[in-house]
Amino acid sequence: MDSENQTDHFLESLEKHKGIIYKIANAYCKNDEDRKDLIQEIITQLWKSHSRYNNEYKFSTWVYRIALNVSISFYSQYKKRANIHHRLNLESIQLVHEESPRPDENLQQLQRFISELKELDKALILLYLDQKSHNEIAEILGISTSNVATKIARIKMKLKDRFSKIKKD
Amino acid sequence: MEELDIMEIWKGYESKLNETLQINRQNTLELTKMKIKSHLVSLKPTKIFTILAGIIWVVFLDIIAVVAFYAGNISLLISAVGLTIINKLAIGVYLYHLFLISKVGINSNVMEVQDKLARLKVSTLNITKILFLQFPLWTIFYWGWGMIQYGNPILWVIQLAITFASIYLSYWLYINIKTENQDKKWFKLIFVEKEWQAVLKSQTLLEQIEDYKNY
Repeated sequence: MDSENQTDHFLESLEKHKGIIYKIANAYCKNDEDRKDLIQEIITQLWKSHSRYNNEYKFSTWVYRIALNVSISFYSQYKKRANIHHRLNLESIQLVHEESPRPDENLQQLQRFISELKELDKALILLYLDQKSHNEIAEILGISTSNVATKIARIKMKLKDRFSKIKKD
Repeated sequence: MEELDIMEIWKGYESKLNETLQINRQNTLELTKMKIKSHLVSLKPTKIFTILAGIIWVVFLDIIAVVAFYAGNISLLISAVGLTIINKLAIGVYLYHLFLISKVGINSNVMEVQDKLARLKVSTLNITKILFLQFPLWTIFYWGWGMIQYGNPILWVIQLAITFASIYLSYWLYINIKTENQDKKWFKLIFVEKEWQAVLKSQTLLEQIEDYKNY
């Protein structure tokens, strides 16, 4: 594939998977500016790894792996990292409106619950909510399918508790 | 709230995002043309520089050791050999870091990548511990026969007190530099807050990884 085709293919793939990138970045970074940096970092890594994409995996599996790996490791470089967004004044994925639409209360609760989870549990619940199969989750995270099932059951239980408490209040 | 309701909330969020998210083609094209170093790879040059500086330092120490051997200066020989061993160990750990960085394929599964990255961060603690062991060696390299034969007893008492105190201190630090002591004042004096926070987060992540692996 020549470089122009490669870029076009990359942009097409990005268009298809922009939602995954945004949802993951939003779950790991609540601050707007940090989230913009994180999104740029994920896209940089996707572009750098694009030529090495192994089609034995689904493209979305590959996107999830990179986006989750970058997001989880991003936090440890929190203060030191290069601020790509500010340095280059670039933004690859933007919300059309200046302000994102105000999420309803249930979605806000769900997002708050996700943001309070530990890094790996957060990855797991994001994949579960995106309706990935247990096999695909296992492949992305590198754990067994039975482990996926047990961990998801535990997180779902916590989530149910959380919502039932809110209802009672 | 039932599982189906939660799924519906998430689907609603997803469809809203699909409507409002837009790829900025121009900015993305710019990004693909640029040679941007990611934060992960940016770890490499610092470590390579540290290794090169470390190699120059141990070569210098080796030369000092050879000179001290031929000159029959035992204390300088012991100091130089001790320092060179400790610094070579630290260089070894840094080389191991570089090896780990080269093995991190960001598109590998999450457990594998995070395990490597977190171990890398946590092992910076081990380098600090090792380097503290050189303290006592800096208190003996200048000893000589003249000092032993004609040295003032009071100065010797002070000298030995300093040497034994530094042996105790370096051993104590070696044993006590660990996550359990992160809240102690002395610990906060040694480690810069943000660096330590990164190590601590990596340590917590390693515990999560172990929890997932051991299930």
